[in-house]
Amino acid sequence: MDVRSAWGKLVVLLILTALGLTFLAPLLWMISTSLKPIEETMTLPPQWIPSELRWENYSKAIMYQWDRAEDVVPPFARYALNTLYVVVLAVAGTVISNALVAYGFARIPWRGRNVLFALTLATMMIPFPVLMVSVFAIFRSLGWVGSFKPLWIPAWFGSAFNIFLLRQFFRTIPNELSDAARIDGCSEVGIFRHVVLPLSKPALAVVALFCFMYTWNDFIGPLIYLTDKKMFTLSLGLQFYQSQHGGTQWNMLMAASTIVVLPLIVVFFLTQRTFIQGITLTGLKG
Amino acid sequence: MQPRLRFLAWLLAAAAVIAPLAIWRLPGESPMPGRTVITYWEKWTGFEGEAMQATVDAFNQSQDRIFVKLLTVSQVDRKMLLSTAGNNPPDVAGLWSYNANVYADKGALLPLDDYCNRAGIGPEQFIPAYWRQCIHRGHIWALPSTPASTALHWNKRLFREAGLDPERPPRSIEELDEFAKMLTKVDAEGRIVQMGFMPSEPGWWNWAWGYFFGGKLWDGRSKITCASPENVRAFEWVQSYAKRYGVQQLQAFQSGFGNFSSPQNAFLSELVAMEIQGVWMHNFISQYAPSLEWGAAPFPYPADRPDLANTSIVEEDILVIPAEAKHPDEAFEFLKFVASEPGMELLCTGQGKNSPRVRTSPKFMAEHPNPYIRVFSDLAKSPNAVTTPAFSLWQEYSTEMTTAFDDIWLLRASPAAALQKVQARMQAKLDREIRQWQRRGKSYIPDEVR
Amino acid sequence: MASPVAARGGAQSRRNLRNGLFFVSPWLIGLSVFMLYPIVASFYYSLCEYSVLQPAEFIGLGNYQDLFSDELFLKSLSNTLVYAAISLPLGLIVSLGLALLLNTGVPFMSWYRTVFFLPALVPQVAIAIVWLWIFNGKFGVLNQALQPMLDVVGRALPGDPKLTAPGWLSDPLWSKPALVLMGAWGVGNSVVIYLAGLQDVPKQLYEAAELDGASWSQRIRHVTLPALSPVILFNFIMGIIGSLQFFAVPYVLSPAGSPSRSIYFLTMYLYDSAFTHLRMGYASAMAWILFLIIFVLTLLALRLSERHVYYGGE
Repeated sequence: MDVRSAWGKLVVLLILTALGLTFLAPLLWMISTSLKPIEETMTLPPQWIPSELRWENYSKAIMYQWDRAEDVVPPFARYALNTLYVVVLAVAGTVISNALVAYGFARIPWRGRNVLFALTLATMMIPFPVLMVSVFAIFRSLGWVGSFKPLWIPAWFGSAFNIFLLRQFFRTIPNELSDAARIDGCSEVGIFRHVVLPLSKPALAVVALFCFMYTWNDFIGPLIYLTDKKMFTLSLGLQFYQSQHGGTQWNMLMAASTIVVLPLIVVFFLTQRTFIQGITLTGLKG
Repeated sequence: MQPRLRFLAWLLAAAAVIAPLAIWRLPGESPMPGRTVITYWEKWTGFEGEAMQATVDAFNQSQDRIFVKLLTVSQVDRKMLLSTAGNNPPDVAGLWSYNANVYADKGALLPLDDYCNRAGIGPEQFIPAYWRQCIHRGHIWALPSTPASTALHWNKRLFREAGLDPERPPRSIEELDEFAKMLTKVDAEGRIVQMGFMPSEPGWWNWAWGYFFGGKLWDGRSKITCASPENVRAFEWVQSYAKRYGVQQLQAFQSGFGNFSSPQNAFLSELVAMEIQGVWMHNFISQYAPSLEWGAAPFPYPADRPDLANTSIVEEDILVIPAEAKHPDEAFEFLKFVASEPGMELLCTGQGKNSPRVRTSPKFMAEHPNPYIRVFSDLAKSPNAVTTPAFSLWQEYSTEMTTAFDDIWLLRASPAAALQKVQARMQAKLDREIRQWQRRGKSYIPDEVR
Repeated sequence: MASPVAARGGAQSRRNLRNGLFFVSPWLIGLSVFMLYPIVASFYYSLCEYSVLQPAEFIGLGNYQDLFSDELFLKSLSNTLVYAAISLPLGLIVSLGLALLLNTGVPFMSWYRTVFFLPALVPQVAIAIVWLWIFNGKFGVLNQALQPMLDVVGRALPGDPKLTAPGWLSDPLWSKPALVLMGAWGVGNSVVIYLAGLQDVPKQLYEAAELDGASWSQRIRHVTLPALSPVILFNFIMGIIGSLQFFAVPYVLSPAGSPSRSIYFLTMYLYDSAFTHLRMGYASAMAWILFLIIFVLTLLALRLSERHVYYGGE
């Protein structure tokens, strides 16, 4: 049977629909549970549609264990603020530093450039655990353990993957543009700012987006470096919530999970095209 | 730029505006100005936590130089170690006694010898079983904070029902077995409805049965001894209960027990007539089963080993100062206060525990909430007080022993075979540890042998 | 290099060097502080007894020797390899299969693509928590859905055996398959990559194949897969690196790798050694073994694929 025939297409469509529902089911189940009263999470057989929508599960999850004497906002909001803080600083650092470095690799011919670039690519093979202990020792001697610094400061010094991504993009910008600017007396920094950066917005958006995703989801970094409960990020807060109350209040736990997942989904829908392009770029040009 | 990207850029800008709020917070509990604030991490919650807070409050009121801030921290031992490694530890931490030797060897604790010398704190003031848990390789690493000893608890009403003298607990193991038979009830369908005694309840000291028969788990040097004849005898005794009543019946019976801290607790709901419990049990009795008629007495010993009378598992929590603490002097002031007679008695009365100090004020004994406090206090002083083996492998060892207990209790293995297995595995680990220390030119075996 | 300005010799090349180094300077710091130094230091630590609190003490190969007599290390290593060996091929089949289905020119393709991609957005911690609920032995929706199917299958089999749904995360035998299933749910990234790769396959190749009378499956075997092979290889290697470092999901499910250490993976033991037991040297030795395994497997993948990967037009 040919998949391009009408029947073939119908069969493929049916298969895709079945698989698609399977893929969506866990997310739907999460949302459905998050809106149920607690008794309904424990009915057999499980119900997909809650008998009534308990939106207050969300406010309860957010307000959970709020000791007003300790903090001006509830813990969950505190986790969100902390995450936001780290994300903003990390994203800004990633975009700025990697754009600079990639420009140096892509647009200026200098001695030793290719050797350094090869070395940069080679470091992508190094698994994180190899670095974990020594990097911890460095931050310890700086007195940064227990602060947010280890989570965002490294972002200001470039990363091999992003340098590679941006370098590939910068190389596609015609040299004639920079040469023209150079003849007009523009400095290298000026060319970077006024010629290359404005043309690279999609690539910078990709880098920013991935950095946002990575930092939002990061678990092991906060696990190692954050000791104070008030400084937890959402990932760590969610895990903490789970380990304290897992197996009891699934509706609240699912509401909390939904809150953590939702911003990612919103950002994804806003930037779908950039996103898909970005992923394609990372997977194909390796 | 795509309009959506522009929207995203706005979103990011908004986030950038909100994010700095992360470092904006209320200045916690505002301590008195001019005082040095020290942080103290403790694991206790509930009434034990409240008693600790009361002690902290008393300290804060006792002087105007230092302010102790108590924070309840889960998994306090791990967190304290990690934060010490990160150069960012609390000034005081409340740990379990088995942490002391391991953490001391890692360099995570501040030795307290000089402080104690200057403050005149020494072994003569503390009951040996408690003091020795603070010592490792000849140095003082901690001071006692929450001491306890364990004893046989029995249900007087059930004794009376079974025709036993409610005021006379069993003295020997043989008597215990005999009483237990009389106190056990099985219904017409063969289901257990009441047990006289059950070695698996509460299940917190499953590794310790050997000590009641004269066994030891470690020779204090290089040998693991859990498969010694005394230990095997103890676990054969444990298994005799499973053989007598049947694994399935016991499991079915056990599945009816509720949470420990609830009225459905096996002892509190009068399902089990005798069990080994700590001095704290009284708190739970008065909270969940105030009308329970109970008594506490030393756990029985084998009739042929009268030298083992007054064997008791003696546990404690300790206060330590992490190696990198910012205010060690102020921290020790607090430790000193807690270890002093008034501090300790305030804490132990509040937590319902016996004092780790050799001497107690008459008021402490007279006004202690636990009517059997003298039993627990004497047991702590007994030469047969048992403390957990003070070596780095203890946590693994106790896990292995618990697994072996399960195999024995569920009749999956003979006691000798199960204990042999543990002994072989732990001996290999101990040998490895000793080798590692030798490689560094040091001796693993601590000079302070228990 | 074609820049006419660049060819002006001495002064220009010095200026380029200066400019180049200026732009690259953040990375020079990053590379040396967060990469090169840590790599060297971690190798040194792996030869030491190092608790972070006391200076590192050199003990030669002691950590490596101890690792191979450490039951828990061997257990976590075998768990990791078993997980990778199941999840990598399965992930490949699922993602490639989905991409092929999406590439048949069905309507609403981008909608379906979004649906398959969404789970890949979910953070690891949330994945673990949501699936913990789905796999829940009593109220888990998965077993509720499976049981009726198993009943039907049971009745159809000779002797009417009563089939019961597995205990998933409470059964050492099923906990790894449960993790594989969770992993397969998050293949969205690969699907998008493969799909893009498929769309890059030159149309002429298909047309030529069709002229030769090749069927759909033949076209896939002889045109699509060879053309896609470099992408598959690249993603497979990234998959090796990723799955051998599997951490967040099993750690959230159970930090001790319960039941029976069946989901205790190498990176979890590494984390515990470093940050629960403060045996940083031991952890570093583990990290280097992990690196060695990744390195060998990558080389192996490159070697074995040599004959099958087709780099067209380059």
